[in-house]
Amino acid sequence: MANEDKKASGVAVVLRERFIIFPGSPLPELALPSAQAFHAEERRDGGKGLFALIVRPGFPARTNVLRALKGVDSPGLMGLVEWGVVDWPPASRKVMALIYARPTGGRVAGSMTDIKRIEEADVMRKIITPVAAALKSLKTAGVTHRAIRPTNMFWATPERDRLVLGDCASVPPAYEQPSVVEPVESAMAMPAARGNGASPDDYYAFGASLAILLQGRNPGGALPDEAVIRQKTAQGSYGMLAGEARLPLPMVEILRGTLCDDESQRWDAEAMELWISGRRLTPLVAKIEKRAARAFVFSNREYFTARELAIAMAQSWDAVLQQIGDGKLELWLRRALENKEKADAVALALGSAGGAVDRRQAGEVTVARICMILDAGAPIRYKGISSMADGLGTLLAVTMVEGGDVKTIAEALMRDVPKAWFETRDSYNPDNSILDGMYRTQKGYLERATIGNGIERVVYEINESMPCISPFTVEDYVVELRDLLPALNAFAKKADGKGSPIDRHVAAFIAARASFEIERQMLDIALPDPTRATLAMLNLLALIQWRLGQGGLYGLSTWVTGLLGPAIASYHNRERRKELEREIPRIAKEGSLVDLSRLLDSPEERAADMRGFEAARMEWHQAYQQLQDIESGRVDVEAPIRTAQQVAALISLTLCFITVALLVISKIF
Amino acid sequence: MRRAGSNRLLIMLTLVALIPFSLPTLLVMFVGMMPTLGAALSDRSGSRYCWLCVGGLNFAGLANWLLFLWFGHHDISSAIQMLLGDHLMLMVAYGAAGIGWLLYMAVPPVVAAIQTGTTHRRAANLASQQKKLVELWGDEIRRASVPEIS
Repeated sequence: MANEDKKASGVAVVLRERFIIFPGSPLPELALPSAQAFHAEERRDGGKGLFALIVRPGFPARTNVLRALKGVDSPGLMGLVEWGVVDWPPASRKVMALIYARPTGGRVAGSMTDIKRIEEADVMRKIITPVAAALKSLKTAGVTHRAIRPTNMFWATPERDRLVLGDCASVPPAYEQPSVVEPVESAMAMPAARGNGASPDDYYAFGASLAILLQGRNPGGALPDEAVIRQKTAQGSYGMLAGEARLPLPMVEILRGTLCDDESQRWDAEAMELWISGRRLTPLVAKIEKRAARAFVFSNREYFTARELAIAMAQSWDAVLQQIGDGKLELWLRRALENKEKADAVALALGSAGGAVDRRQAGEVTVARICMILDAGAPIRYKGISSMADGLGTLLAVTMVEGGDVKTIAEALMRDVPKAWFETRDSYNPDNSILDGMYRTQKGYLERATIGNGIERVVYEINESMPCISPFTVEDYVVELRDLLPALNAFAKKADGKGSPIDRHVAAFIAARASFEIERQMLDIALPDPTRATLAMLNLLALIQWRLGQGGLYGLSTWVTGLLGPAIASYHNRERRKELEREIPRIAKEGSLVDLSRLLDSPEERAADMRGFEAARMEWHQAYQQLQDIESGRVDVEAPIRTAQQVAALISLTLCFITVALLVISKIF
Repeated sequence: MRRAGSNRLLIMLTLVALIPFSLPTLLVMFVGMMPTLGAALSDRSGSRYCWLCVGGLNFAGLANWLLFLWFGHHDISSAIQMLLGDHLMLMVAYGAAGIGWLLYMAVPPVVAAIQTGTTHRRAANLASQQKKLVELWGDEIRRASVPEIS
């Protein structure tokens, strides 16, 4: 289609002055469940086949992945050409757009139930070799894909001779992954809480996708997620995905290697390369979880493995403590499952819960801990949430964006549930220590409920790519601090001028993203004193403007000006107030929050005002005391009368001396 | 109080010592300055200026006859004659004492009236000064100065 036709069909959107996206030309064949696809072109080279994915508004795109993969040229990866925030007329807001090289052979599978079988002879050249290269590139870049599934694989060419992995950055990791292509542990987590994971997760997803493509069917089919997890737990992933298929031995090898449920045993890039180069590896045998000699009855159902029991407990949270008391679970673990370590750990967890002050709270954490002990590989499960250790951040972000209840997530962090998960690990993992420290820091933010802290702070701290979802900025997709003031400036036209531009989300966003010292302003902004809070708001915005060198914020300055009443009123001198009221609108027209801050919060002016006020106060007080004395008659009225009497006596004596002197003179002469 | 008493005693002793040498003068002065003595005895004010005020003019009125005594015949008979024969002397001495008394009575009310006027003016000035301070610095200075009236 010619550019002109597309331009005629709708408004063109420009990304970084270089790429044109055509909202009027959707490409459903390249879209993802959470990201629409549109035709895109490069300005200088219109012939280059490109398309744009528009990230679902508000969703945190994986910016770390975008940074790592931009420009990476791998035969098995859909080339990421550019990414950034654009004005998006169809949604009347800004959105994140990802520009990809356009695969021209179409999608490998239209849906997870509509799978076309791929010939074994073609698999090595068309699929395994490019994807292995892609996985190696991802590992080299230090990121994971977490979106490898048949429906997110595309044929790079019209000849369909090479497969490329589709986008992996427009949604949280593994958010759209069906359980069938996810490792059991990840599948047990909520879609938004699967976390970045690690390279073995990508190999597993690739193995599962390969198994599906080789068979031309999805063994998970229409099964619900619980059933898929149960089958994988019972049969092992290979057994569930390819156990019934008749496959040549090399394919069995690669599938057993990549679908190994033990992550430490699962094939990695090196094993894959050896296999591609023709070296035959011993197929890994699936390790099925140990079954107990007798069942544990929970909620009238029998369970033979610890994992199944943990899943059941996580689904019947409130009933757990009542049904495992009296050492029943410990005995079952010790005798029927013959797992002394787990039995001891359960006894310890139940024992420590008994002595807690808040028994209900302790009970809930104990249930979480027991689930962790029973199934060490499972995600963190607490009440209704189920999250991988590194997935709580994205879970919180998605829940918040979708307007869900974040109370349980906050509660899990407050009650150190992730810490309990880290404590129940079989072996030391340095990544866990980092995550543990990070969650401890988040707990600190949650404990301080003031503006700039709380759950809002946590969501921006944990999610580097989380856009600020304040009502003031949500339409501008503010991911970086430098985008914040222009967004607030743009919103100023719509603002009623009554509320502060720094609401809880904006404050938390600033606190999480600022690389400079803002501690004092953040503390002051939370004060109940409106004067100090207003000045802190102005100073904080001015500091950001000054540090980022952003001028001309006319709208925001005018917005802020309307809120400066308490700050002006903080000056005692009325003349100074009038002077400020004259000056402020003039400075606001210049768009300089820095100058406004200097004018209103000048230490010299404030000190002079205080000195003047103190002197005036003393002067007033002295006058007051004198007036009180006059009014209460405490003035010494005797003193003037005494003086008058002295004067009278003096007059009398003077007259006496004069008279005597005159008489004496007259007698003598 | 004790000091005033000791002064009075000193004066009395001096007068007693002078009696043998100037009995005629003392006689004339005792009779001629009766108003002063009365003023000294009746003055209950703290300052005790009344006798000075009355005494000054009383003595001025008597001075002419005292000089006449001193420069003439300074003896008891002349003094008695002067007291009994010259009515003008007592009239002048007592009249002058009366003027002194009037002076003592009249000056303080005048001063008090002036004082009252000054106080009113001062109160008005203080109130005006306070008003100006409140206009420039706001009502806070009232509250900051006198918390109980806020």
